[in-house]
Amino acid sequence: MIALVVVSTFLVLLLGVLVAGLLRSHADILRSLHELGVGVGDPTALPREDRAGAPPGGPALGPAPAIAGLTPSGDARAFAPTNSDRLTLLGFLSSGCTSCAGFWQALQQPEDLQLPQGTRVVIVTKGPELEIPAQVRSLSTGRVPVIMSSEAWHDYQVPGSPFFVLIDGASARKVGQGVAGHVSQLIDLVHRARFDERNGDGAQSAETALDGPEREAAADHVLRAAGILPGHPSLYPRTLDDVFPDRRAG
Amino acid sequence: MATIRAHGIASQLPSGFEAKIFVRDVPVGVAHAVAQFATFPLPDDVGDFGSGAVSLMGPVDVYATLFEYGPESLGTVLFARQGRPSPLSPGDFSPTVLRRGVPGQSGTQWFFTEAGRPFSFYAVLGSHLQRALLVPRVNTLLASLTLSPPAPQTPSDRVAWN
Repeated sequence: MIALVVVSTFLVLLLGVLVAGLLRSHADILRSLHELGVGVGDPTALPREDRAGAPPGGPALGPAPAIAGLTPSGDARAFAPTNSDRLTLLGFLSSGCTSCAGFWQALQQPEDLQLPQGTRVVIVTKGPELEIPAQVRSLSTGRVPVIMSSEAWHDYQVPGSPFFVLIDGASARKVGQGVAGHVSQLIDLVHRARFDERNGDGAQSAETALDGPEREAAADHVLRAAGILPGHPSLYPRTLDDVFPDRRAG
Repeated sequence: MATIRAHGIASQLPSGFEAKIFVRDVPVGVAHAVAQFATFPLPDDVGDFGSGAVSLMGPVDVYATLFEYGPESLGTVLFARQGRPSPLSPGDFSPTVLRRGVPGQSGTQWFFTEAGRPFSFYAVLGSHLQRALLVPRVNTLLASLTLSPPAPQTPSDRVAWN
């Protein structure tokens, strides 16, 4: 009888060790699957790339290819938007589209557009085979590059004009693209793309760590994006009620 | 890979390069083709040999100009070399060759005849210390160039005498 109890106890202990080993092996497999981003089981667990931050540019808008074509005067120009850390705004315009007229004027005065500092502006029309170079030449002021390239329209999958693409040179990717009816809508698109990109790649936390002139520039950028420009009444409070409007309501 | 082509000069641009190929409007005489290449944003208003651009270079940047001279230069001693120089070696670059002496940079300049056209090729490295890294980029650019013979003059191009 004693021998039977000893053998049974030994068998129970042995089975317990085996079950514990199997559970541990199972946990290792689940952990590995989670790290590979195909985890099952715990729905709150994040795949590795989410913990590290999404790729810059958020949902894939894709890489930004180089642009090469002719200038309206018959010279050649090639442009590599990814050879610096700067932003580049591509404006795909036509000489004949009526809604492009305002953009031809505005994009060739980029200093008045309140774009993020250092943004390059390039106007891209279709190639000479589909455009009238003389008309494009008459619209060009020479202040920003104007490149005639049907290939660029194809590469950037431009559905029609006017169409705009914002490129981040640092990540060599398109960070925003779309259609705008007015210049103000275009500026809004640019700032929203920048905001989305910063939130997507975790740069927001880096921004809060800025100091000195960079911090001031970042604050100016956020204020401009919110429509608060120099001279805005909210910047010059006269009473505490101006600062805490809720207090007046209460 | 973008291809740029005008005035009998073409290049299948190496990655990261941007470029311009143009003929300047000149009030007197005849201007010939100029091609400019850079691995950094190339300003629109740049001198033929890079003034206004080389001061913007970073230490790992490359700038190059291919400058065509007039047909009167053909057959002269300066342009006796047939074909472009290639491949260049780090020893071909020197800080004393720079047209604009930006500290830390170095350059090289070659005169040659190719496709029946006299050219000068001038290249600048952003950092002489990095020449072993940067010279291969210049060689890749040189290899990408296609130079065509001069276009035959049409009757309307020729000066008409009364």
